[in-house]
Amino acid sequence: MGDRAMSEAHYRFPPAAAFPLNRCLYALKSDDAFRARFLADAKAAMAEYGLDPEAQAALLAADRDSLVARGAHPYLVFMADLRVRMARGTGTFEYF
Amino acid sequence: MLVGAFACAHTPQLIARPETEDRELVLRVHAAFARVRRRLAMLQPDAIAIVAGDHVEAFFLDAVPALAVYAGAEAAGTFGPYNYRFPIHEPLARAVVEQGIERGFDLLYTQHARLDYAFFVPLHFTMPEPAVPILPLHVNVYLPPQPTPRRCHAWGGALGEILAARPERVVLMASGGMSHYPGTDRYGSPDYDWDRRVLDTLRDGRGEQLAAVTGEELDKAGNVELRTWITVLGAVGSAKAEIYCYEPSWHHGNAVVEWAIGR
Repeated sequence: MGDRAMSEAHYRFPPAAAFPLNRCLYALKSDDAFRARFLADAKAAMAEYGLDPEAQAALLAADRDSLVARGAHPYLVFMADLRVRMARGTGTFEYF
Repeated sequence: MLVGAFACAHTPQLIARPETEDRELVLRVHAAFARVRRRLAMLQPDAIAIVAGDHVEAFFLDAVPALAVYAGAEAAGTFGPYNYRFPIHEPLARAVVEQGIERGFDLLYTQHARLDYAFFVPLHFTMPEPAVPILPLHVNVYLPPQPTPRRCHAWGGALGEILAARPERVVLMASGGMSHYPGTDRYGSPDYDWDRRVLDTLRDGRGEQLAAVTGEELDKAGNVELRTWITVLGAVGSAKAEIYCYEPSWHHGNAVVEWAIGR
């Protein structure tokens, strides 16, 4: 466990600046149509929610630490990643 | 009247059963759920009021209610391959909203929101035959700032009084817990010792002490979802808990509990 995890809450108030990112993660988790668009053209899908280039890069790399540092909710990061993996056929419930 | 009170884990792996799980452990939790199901058959409730923390599914950042009541005709959702749908006990839902607000709890109510697996997993395993209507009650556990444990306990106290005055036989069920840290870098190391101390407290009928726990402590212990239990504790007072199981998996403290009320 790093210093960050020791010193800060696991679940933190989502900063307003991270709303586009959290909205995109929520849609990947819960909106089948959006997830399909993301799988077909991730950049175009992320542009729908106005993600900045850094957030886009972090999401494309599925870089949890970077996403959380940008204000993404850890549970949304987790579930968005799971749903995308499941849709690609490379993930199962075991990622819970 | 309130005829029973339980708390059940809603760990998704208990249904999905991936290869990462200890099969025997999963089956022991299933056996505890089966005990709850038999108890529910004996108690013959007219409704199950289930207190759960939505996993940022029905309630996203559009609007974040601290406490909410599902007051539609039915509630539905999906989980993996499962599509589920439960009728809601509408007179009970309406009474809880109206009387809750009358008592000073500024509740959100919804007639449309989706149910997520926090509600579904315990009901999947424990719903008796024939099935009874439910009353889903949401407590915000994942989007800070969450309601304080003290507020959850007070809401549970009011809820218990509202249900006690109703003609229907109602079972109260908390969903969630115990220690786990979904999405974080601590997913593989839950705080089992903290869980066991809580269970000792509940076994002794001293659950009221949990009203004094801080939100910070719940977060640290991987027990943000324990707010649902603390809500139920407000309704059961000093009733002692019987621990049906406590099964710590590699990522989750799985507990199933009944409080001895009316016995």
